[in-house]
Amino acid sequence: MDTLQVIKNSAAHLSPAIALLIGGSLLMCASIFFRTGVKRDIHSQRNLFAVLSMTTLVVAVLLSFYRGTPQLDKYDVGLFRFDSGALAAERLTFLGGFILILMSWSTAPASRLSEYYGCLLVMLSAIPIVGASNDLVSLFLGLELLSIPTYVMLGIVKTDNTGAEAALKYFMLSAFASCFFLLGLSYLFGVVGSTNLLVIQGDYDNGKRLMALALLLVMCGLSFRITAVPFHFYAPDVFDGTTVTLAGVMSYLPKVAGFVALVRLIGTGGLGESASSVIIPVLLTCAAITMCVGNLLATAQNNLRRLLAYSSVAHTGYLLLALVALVRQDADANVLYSYLAAYAAMTLGMFACLGEIEAAGGNSHLIGDLTGMFYRRPAATIGLTVSLISLIGLPLTAGFWAKFMVFAGIVAENRPDSRSLFMAVLMAFNAVIAAGYYWRVLSTLFEKNAAKTPLRVFRPSLFFAYTICTVLTIVWFFVPAIMR
Amino acid sequence: MNYLLPSLVLVPLAASVVILLLGNNRGKAMVPVGILASIITLLLSIALVFQVHNAPSADGSGTIAPKVLFEPQALTIALPISVAKQPIQWQLILGADGISALLVLLTGIIGCFTIVLASKQIETRTAQYMALMLASISMLMGVFVSMDLVSFYVFFEAVLIPLILLINGWGNGDNPLSASRKFLLFTLAGSIPMVIGLIALAMAPAASGQPSTISFMELSKLAAENPIHGSNWVVWLLLLGFGIKLAILPLHTWLPTTYAAAHPNTTSLIASVVAKLGLYGIIRIVIPLTSHSLITEAQLLIGALGAIAIVYGALVALTKSNLREVLAYSSISHVGFITLGLMSLNTEGLSGATLQMFNHGLITASMFWILAMLEQRRGPVSMSTENQGLAGQYPKLAVLLVFFTLAGAGLPGLNGFVGELLAMAGMMRVSGTIVTIAVLGTVLGAWYALRIVQRVLFGGNGNGHHHGHHQGHHQPESSSALDLRPLEWMPLVVVAFLCLYIGVLPQRSMKLFQADTDRISKITEPAVKAAHPNTDQLVSQ
Repeated sequence: MDTLQVIKNSAAHLSPAIALLIGGSLLMCASIFFRTGVKRDIHSQRNLFAVLSMTTLVVAVLLSFYRGTPQLDKYDVGLFRFDSGALAAERLTFLGGFILILMSWSTAPASRLSEYYGCLLVMLSAIPIVGASNDLVSLFLGLELLSIPTYVMLGIVKTDNTGAEAALKYFMLSAFASCFFLLGLSYLFGVVGSTNLLVIQGDYDNGKRLMALALLLVMCGLSFRITAVPFHFYAPDVFDGTTVTLAGVMSYLPKVAGFVALVRLIGTGGLGESASSVIIPVLLTCAAITMCVGNLLATAQNNLRRLLAYSSVAHTGYLLLALVALVRQDADANVLYSYLAAYAAMTLGMFACLGEIEAAGGNSHLIGDLTGMFYRRPAATIGLTVSLISLIGLPLTAGFWAKFMVFAGIVAENRPDSRSLFMAVLMAFNAVIAAGYYWRVLSTLFEKNAAKTPLRVFRPSLFFAYTICTVLTIVWFFVPAIMR
Repeated sequence: MNYLLPSLVLVPLAASVVILLLGNNRGKAMVPVGILASIITLLLSIALVFQVHNAPSADGSGTIAPKVLFEPQALTIALPISVAKQPIQWQLILGADGISALLVLLTGIIGCFTIVLASKQIETRTAQYMALMLASISMLMGVFVSMDLVSFYVFFEAVLIPLILLINGWGNGDNPLSASRKFLLFTLAGSIPMVIGLIALAMAPAASGQPSTISFMELSKLAAENPIHGSNWVVWLLLLGFGIKLAILPLHTWLPTTYAAAHPNTTSLIASVVAKLGLYGIIRIVIPLTSHSLITEAQLLIGALGAIAIVYGALVALTKSNLREVLAYSSISHVGFITLGLMSLNTEGLSGATLQMFNHGLITASMFWILAMLEQRRGPVSMSTENQGLAGQYPKLAVLLVFFTLAGAGLPGLNGFVGELLAMAGMMRVSGTIVTIAVLGTVLGAWYALRIVQRVLFGGNGNGHHHGHHQGHHQPESSSALDLRPLEWMPLVVVAFLCLYIGVLPQRSMKLFQADTDRISKITEPAVKAAHPNTDQLVSQ
């Protein structure tokens, strides 16, 4: 098949991502045509931009239906490969994108609407590109397509000191992580002599020690995106220093991109003896440290944002265990994607509820600010309750299946080694520690509060956002098959 | 296809949802709905007992053979992943054998009476209280009728959600918030690691090339054919989960705090039914499915812990002055007997323990109901002073309290005696030392039971001391002098008759589950003999 045909087919199959990218770029240019300053009609502008972004997303979704199911074997040589992983990454993007645009509807910064939505759409377009990439170059470009708009977003939503600190911190550390990643990629290329991922994966088992080093460097770079310890330090400061909506963005999109890239690099096709003897212990150790550090530090927090940041770190630890199951080929990649989908519903639902409480004039920065919220804002409190129960991992919520599948993957077929058992038990006890601090938040919501002024401002978009998340969290418990 | 089983779960759940959705601003308008739903649930559970009792004995080579089954093919939930190249599916299987039916009946009785009594006991948000109560009853029923690992676990965990809300929202003791947190964390610390054990159980057949399964019937068949099945660590994970739920000795600390903080009406359900979940899990999962590891690894240790719990609980109960805490520790002590019986793994021990689960549920719930009625009239009941003489003021309550205290202390002719005797007789054939410790506990048990009666009921005219103050709610002065109203004594009298019936005719009630416990002991008894030939055999064969 000639190269031109490959490119044409790839473009057809990448059409959702391309639509998002074009839509994002156009929205970014749109600021020229809109009136700024005191005279403008901010509400109609908010609605207009949100509707435009939503339309772009819907177009992307329609394109993904229209394009049909890609045939796998045809495009293995090109920059992109459309297997089930690529489709799952797309679905996760659509899910997150839909909720995030709803959350942004009334919370986007008034002075920078077009830049905000433009960046958001470009970030969304990055994940399908990462998910479909079959080449080191497209993988790296996809990841940068995600991080560069993130710097802009962090810079424009909040311009005070904490916002500037968050943006700068994220920028510096992200650039640092990208360097690690690039160094790893150059080693990979050096060892194998090709940038094609399939060729590289075929060569994992060549017994060269340099291969393991290259993979470790790549994993260092990606650990930053997924907030794995020791690359998690930015998370609490960034979550704390930015708006609720953007904290939601930061908790979800980079994590999805990072894990999708990890699956792309080491998750499919088997690592082989020599590479996996290095990679799996590293992954297990990293998972153990990540979940323990995340949970123990979250326990000590009174600041809700920092608590959620550390809880996001802890979930990365659980996801890394799922990745181990995947690398060992004990479970298929859906164990990760399902976890991420459940994570989207519960975490974004949680941020949407907090966003609504803030939009209605309440405060949600410290746990204590939520005291008695049930009596002030019952609907958002019920959303928070469902999210928290799901984050704990109790049944009747999607979070239960998410944890269950990780457990099933890690102890599959009675693996004889005691390491996996130890990791599973460690994860179980981490989940208990996590239940402690989630319960602290949960019980605060229902505590009696002296100031009982109800919060009456109603934001339909945020209300829809968390209603969708809450419904999904519960429905996915009963119909887990669609959670992928 | 038996539709009684799903309706046992769905009726209370539906009522609970209806009350929560409609009863928001209607005060007590939804209270009759709650009472009606609980009565229907009770009737359904009685119907199930009759069905199981009259059903022909089930065939099947496994140790778990439910007599009635509900296995809808349509309710198969497929998880979106495959593990070890096998798709993971959860096919819902509900079923009941004699053991399940007995505990379903216990849940029905205790649940119904708790809700009926709540209409008088709970003054704030009564309808919501009932709704959460019904939700817990529904989940408890679900645990007792599930016949596959996943449903069992899902219901087992889901019980927690309404319970923590009940403990926290209506607790009137000291610090219900931290108590409910402790309850949640302790229970999760057992039950989340337990998932790993359950998954390993389900995956164990895959090691010998068979498809993995979650059905209790299939798993018990495999376990009976191939006793060394699954690894030894599985049994420890399971025992951790169930042990925390039943408050086995070093893991019991959540129990007194929870019982002291929650409303005694809530505690009656927790102490009588929720604490049985751990014991039920042991007899339903640990003993039939991992008997080999249990016998070689844990049998004597857990049995000894049970015996120590009997003595320890009784000793601590003797030193406490708050009646809530006395009852909490007495509950730990009594559950020790059931553990003892279960760990004997022979026919007397298992049937005695099963019967005692029911008995202890009845007795302890009644004690907490009486405590709730006393507290409603007098504030917290303290035993620090003697001669409070409440019998003079509340004669009906006094009679019932004496009756249930004696039933708990194991008076022959009442139900507590039968179960505890059988449990100890079973253990006698395994280890005389453990029984010797346990017998010591029965003496102490009688001591603290009589101490309650003597300090609270007798020795004065009841007017001298008004201890403490009414917590949280104010009682009109006139009602504090009233003896029990008909709605209050009738449930207690019904339970008292049941206690008497079991005490006098234990064989009749044991016929319900004897075949099921025998099926288990037929497998375990020879294995115990083979594994521990040198334990002290005081009873010659």
